[in-house]
Amino acid sequence: MSVTAHPIDLHEAHDHIHPAPQGFIAKYVFSIDHKVIAMQYFVTGLLFMLVGGSFAELIRLQLWNPKGTFMEYHTYNQMFTMHGTVMVWLVLIPLVTGSLGNLIMPLQIGARDVAFPWLNMLSFWLIPVSGLILFSSFFVGAPSSGWTEYPPISIQQGPGGALWSLSIIVVGISSTLTGLNFIVTIFKMRAPGMTWTRMPLFTWATFSTAILNLFATVALSAALLALFFAQVFDVPFFDAARGGSPLLYEHMFWFYSHPAVYIFILPAFGVISEILPTFARKTIFGYKMIAFSSLAIAVLGFTVWAHHMFPSGIAPWLQIPFMVLTYLIGIPTGIKIFSWMATLWGGRIQFTTPMLYATAFIGTFSFGGITGIYLACVPVDLHEHGSYFVVGHFHYVVAGGAVAAFFAGLYYWFPKATGRLLNERLGKLGFWLFFIGLTGTFLPMHWLGLEGMPRRYASYETFAKAFPDAVFWNRFESVFSFFMVASVGLIAFNIFTAIRSGRKAGNNPWGARTLEWMISSPPPYYNFKKIPIVLDRPYDFTAPLPYLNLDEEPDPYPVPSEAVLERPRVAVPVGA
Amino acid sequence: MAVESTFGQPSPLLERAAVEARYHNVDALYEETRDMRLFGFILFLLADCVLFSSFIFAYLFLRASAPTWPPVVNGTQIGRLDVAFGALNSIVLFGSGVTMHFALESWKNLKTRAFNVWIVTTTLLGIAFLLGQAHEYTSAPAGLTWSGNAFGATYFTLTGLHGFHVFAGVCYLIVLTIQANRGVYTGSKYFGLTAGTLYWHFVDVIWVLLFVLFYLW
Repeated sequence: MSVTAHPIDLHEAHDHIHPAPQGFIAKYVFSIDHKVIAMQYFVTGLLFMLVGGSFAELIRLQLWNPKGTFMEYHTYNQMFTMHGTVMVWLVLIPLVTGSLGNLIMPLQIGARDVAFPWLNMLSFWLIPVSGLILFSSFFVGAPSSGWTEYPPISIQQGPGGALWSLSIIVVGISSTLTGLNFIVTIFKMRAPGMTWTRMPLFTWATFSTAILNLFATVALSAALLALFFAQVFDVPFFDAARGGSPLLYEHMFWFYSHPAVYIFILPAFGVISEILPTFARKTIFGYKMIAFSSLAIAVLGFTVWAHHMFPSGIAPWLQIPFMVLTYLIGIPTGIKIFSWMATLWGGRIQFTTPMLYATAFIGTFSFGGITGIYLACVPVDLHEHGSYFVVGHFHYVVAGGAVAAFFAGLYYWFPKATGRLLNERLGKLGFWLFFIGLTGTFLPMHWLGLEGMPRRYASYETFAKAFPDAVFWNRFESVFSFFMVASVGLIAFNIFTAIRSGRKAGNNPWGARTLEWMISSPPPYYNFKKIPIVLDRPYDFTAPLPYLNLDEEPDPYPVPSEAVLERPRVAVPVGA
Repeated sequence: MAVESTFGQPSPLLERAAVEARYHNVDALYEETRDMRLFGFILFLLADCVLFSSFIFAYLFLRASAPTWPPVVNGTQIGRLDVAFGALNSIVLFGSGVTMHFALESWKNLKTRAFNVWIVTTTLLGIAFLLGQAHEYTSAPAGLTWSGNAFGATYFTLTGLHGFHVFAGVCYLIVLTIQANRGVYTGSKYFGLTAGTLYWHFVDVIWVLLFVLFYLW
């Protein structure tokens, strides 16, 4: 058959709202709706968090006694390896971007879905596949050389290591596709009139994250492909005897895995930048600075990877530039912190649950960030690298930063996703449990590390002889770690009860100012009946209320009380 | 982003009028954000570049840290690759890039027959390149094996990844030929052909790097 003529195609100006999907499978399982996919990410992420958290608690039980008699040492190695792997790749990487990014970003830019909905579905379904591959390694001997899987140990540990590599390659593909999808969505699908500097800050953060997702994650896939070849086909990339180099793996791995921490934390920054102005009833301070500092962090994030390798024997002349570049990251991060504080200043602050998490985030994240600057200093790092100081620092950033901001976002956007509010009283109790648990668990790790407690050891008997207080502080940490478990349990309970009997939320229960709050909750599958035209930046809290309703129907539950939403009593400072 | 707000805007009403005049049918315009797929495909190719860059970095890193290159295995240095044959094979691949360009241009000019000739030529040249690579693998210098040393590891991984990309490209070209002849594409809508051409040029460019790194350097 040959083509005889090219018909001239006419663009039809038909109605572009696609029909709603029918049937359980199309609606809930293999859905291409970004809101349903966000829920799927959320549920799987929470389940994986449960698994990863159980591993963490087993680790804490092992450290109850300095001798470490709770489990065998090899099992302990498997536990901390799997804890790190599950939390990093199956919780933090997909959860924040996948659930909040997927749910909110298209709504905030006035789009009906992401650019490639089918690809979005594929991205999600790769996550459970990866989880299955990872957990199947328990049947053949789970990997036990830490979440970084440095060769040569990771090559010598049997088939479990190869399954680990394969599983993380699959997560990497999912993450790359999400990044691609989000970049195209944000570039091409913004509502008319929404210029780059009219985009909400969460969308800016999602955009910066997507750049990292797209370009950094492929480097990880390459590193793990090389590791996989080494594990299965004995290819000598990392074997010094045959001309390879174990250091090469560290370079390839950290070239991704340092940007990976920005993949966790940038969406968190975005969440905080949305919540603070809403509950301070005041426009965000330094909009452009916050937006561009996300980009600056994303770009700088590619240039600092070797600060993880100071003790691994990289050349001294290379160490100094990496130290300095790492310090530079403090500048855009500091810009954000100070802009948030200036946003709060003079605002009319309401301590709702999301706001509690958001304000506490500023403190805990700054603490984790400052210890990070401290660790980037070469002589300090050489001393502290193998100690609990690093564990404390890292957990302050991920638990006190990314996870806390995720919970803030969860309380903030839950009414938008489900149409019901979470219980505030339970939420506040959960907040206090979480932050008391966080401080009790991770703060003592800093001084234990400074005293020289080595990380990743199944038994700290020798250390406890030199520093007898270690037993008390480790038990202290173990007790407080269960506070965090209780708080996550409380959040789960809160979600279950709210779905069934929570107070109904209208379009805009918080009186917020971005596009997602101008349509009904939960949004219809097409999101916007008519695509809005945007004329101004968000976060203008001086506009008349109730705010704009883009739906044809009136808001069934309009903003409840004037007290919540009155104009700010304090004048906005000049330049804000 | 208040539609009604006057905050920070000197003349919101004027701007609103301007935007509405430009986008009088917002929905139609919105759907016409046409080139999303092209943009997405270019991003995919850029991500693919990172994959090759990572392995090229591995090659440079290992080569820089080796005392001699090509490395010495069991007391004898591995021989160099056959530059003459490699050059011939490169010409085959670059030639296929040229024919692919002609294929796309003929489609744009509505010359279906010429399109078919050029795209089939491209596919055949692609297959010829793959056969050439198979010959390169079977007649590799003594001591150059995938699991033997760092040279073999990087050489076979990088050229293998590239060969896999060429293989996928050949399959894609066959699909495109069938689709084009079944009338999937029109004179103004031929995204698949654009993507196929871009992909094929991308594979060409990667080969330039690999040829320089492994054969000429």
